[in-house]
Amino acid sequence: MMDRIGIGWRSEIAAGILANLNEIDVVEVIADDFFDATNKHIQSLQTLSKQVPVVFHGVSLGLASSTPVEITRLEKTARLMEKVRPESWSEHLAFVRGGGLEIGHLAAPPRTDATIEGAIKNLFLAKRIVGALPHVENIATLIEPPGSDYDEVFWINSILHGSNAGLLLDLHNLYANAINFGEDPFYMISKLPLEKIVSIHLAGGKWVSNKQYGDERRLLDDHLHDVPDAVYSLLTEVASMVNNPLTVIIERDGLFPSMECLIQQIKQARHAISVGRGRKTINQNTVAT
Amino acid sequence: MNPFDFYGPQFLIFYLILGAVVISASVYLRRQAESGIPTKTEFSDPYLLAYLRGGPNESLRIAVVSLIDRELLEVQKTSKKNVTDLVTKKRVTADIARRPIEKALLKKFETSEAATTIFGDSELESSCEEYKKQLTQLGYLPDEATKAARRQRFLIGALILLSVATVKIIVALSRGRYNILFLIILAVIFPICLYRISNPFRAARGDRMLKDLRTLFSSLKKRGKSIKPGGGTSELALLIGVFGLGALSARAFPYAKKLYPKATSSGSSCGSSCGSSCGSSCGGGGCGGGCGGCGG
Repeated sequence: MMDRIGIGWRSEIAAGILANLNEIDVVEVIADDFFDATNKHIQSLQTLSKQVPVVFHGVSLGLASSTPVEITRLEKTARLMEKVRPESWSEHLAFVRGGGLEIGHLAAPPRTDATIEGAIKNLFLAKRIVGALPHVENIATLIEPPGSDYDEVFWINSILHGSNAGLLLDLHNLYANAINFGEDPFYMISKLPLEKIVSIHLAGGKWVSNKQYGDERRLLDDHLHDVPDAVYSLLTEVASMVNNPLTVIIERDGLFPSMECLIQQIKQARHAISVGRGRKTINQNTVAT
Repeated sequence: MNPFDFYGPQFLIFYLILGAVVISASVYLRRQAESGIPTKTEFSDPYLLAYLRGGPNESLRIAVVSLIDRELLEVQKTSKKNVTDLVTKKRVTADIARRPIEKALLKKFETSEAATTIFGDSELESSCEEYKKQLTQLGYLPDEATKAARRQRFLIGALILLSVATVKIIVALSRGRYNILFLIILAVIFPICLYRISNPFRAARGDRMLKDLRTLFSSLKKRGKSIKPGGGTSELALLIGVFGLGALSARAFPYAKKLYPKATSSGSSCGSSCGSSCGSSCGGGGCGGGCGGCGG
């Protein structure tokens, strides 16, 4: 299987996506948008899946929590998977509700043994109900989760090893966290279990400032801006290190530029991967000789 | 209880119910036979979807707007009322276009002509033949086997309706009753309705494809009114390919309204009957204008 580059399915750019399927290998659909959809919408999704490979992405399970995932949400995911039969599905390592309150946001939980254990239990529950483990995605955060005992990489690795789930590595989230908390993103990547990386998210963001952060600016992952060059460099780095074929998705949720601009970003991602793969081959040849 | 012993009004009610059942069964059987999840389709050519929606006239209409948007065709003012002329822009040749339909249009308008002359032009229609072939292969338009099955269903239905009416007429006449006019009218109308309903332009799978695309593009249609001219994007062509010229903003694309007023005034409610009546079978400029209502 080859590396594939795709884009997040948003109905605002639907025609642009379908008109450019020669450049787009895969689309990622937000599963939650279709949980309570009418038959008409499910049918349209089935038709879409005949045109281009579809992967599902979830945003509301709240896997990384010491409280169990809501069974009804998993059942809805399972029903949707059954009807549309996407290639795979993914969810965030985040918590989205607690004590009966919906946060309305993907929040970073305290990185503790309790959340590691909770996430692993939730992943096994998801596998039991949905029939397949989701790929889990690292999230961006503007603040270090209070009460944490571990750093982000150790926490993610523990969940991946405990659950055997694949990693959907969001490079802009990783980049934003690295920038915001003074880490080296390349070093963070090198510490991740490379054999677990199966898909990649690319996105853009903007700088924000808040008195809470002192004089510092922080990078907000907002999916409303173009993918920055630094993130393409990280993609090259990942491609130069991993053996797995990668599915790369560009996420854009609003302020949509022209389709030509989005296609240009897809091309740039393809180029970044090919540079990384080329570098990997050279490295392997060097080691062999 | 022999229905042939029913009195006139009773039998008419019985016959109306029979007609409705036969027509419903015909529609149901056709949909069952022709349905299925749409297969992989080439979306890079928006005229293909326009053809699916409304036949060659619709493909040509969309191609004209797309060429004007890309500044390859030009709208010319004329002194004639309700007529808008088109001409290929200076220094533009047919070779500049990639698709046969666009080449044919640029060639046609090398000399200024009324926009509505695209309808019924055999050369232009033949430039759309490839779309018909593709759509038939995809199972979106009926192929010969599908048409034969449709004919068979129609003949069986018509035979049932006509046989029942004929027997009742013979029974009535033999009993000295001559109030059979309404029955004769129904016996003529039902088979005509059955024929039209049995033979839509698209196959059920084609209907599904169009319906699914309209669902997938629902947000895009809302954005249609904000799409500005001059973009020359495939997005615009695909939008009007699926929803028709009515999806465009009249302010941003005033020429679209002038060229084909009926097509721009209609919504997206054009059903399969539109395709059959104007898409494939009509000729002549008059028909083009008349079928404009199918544009939605």
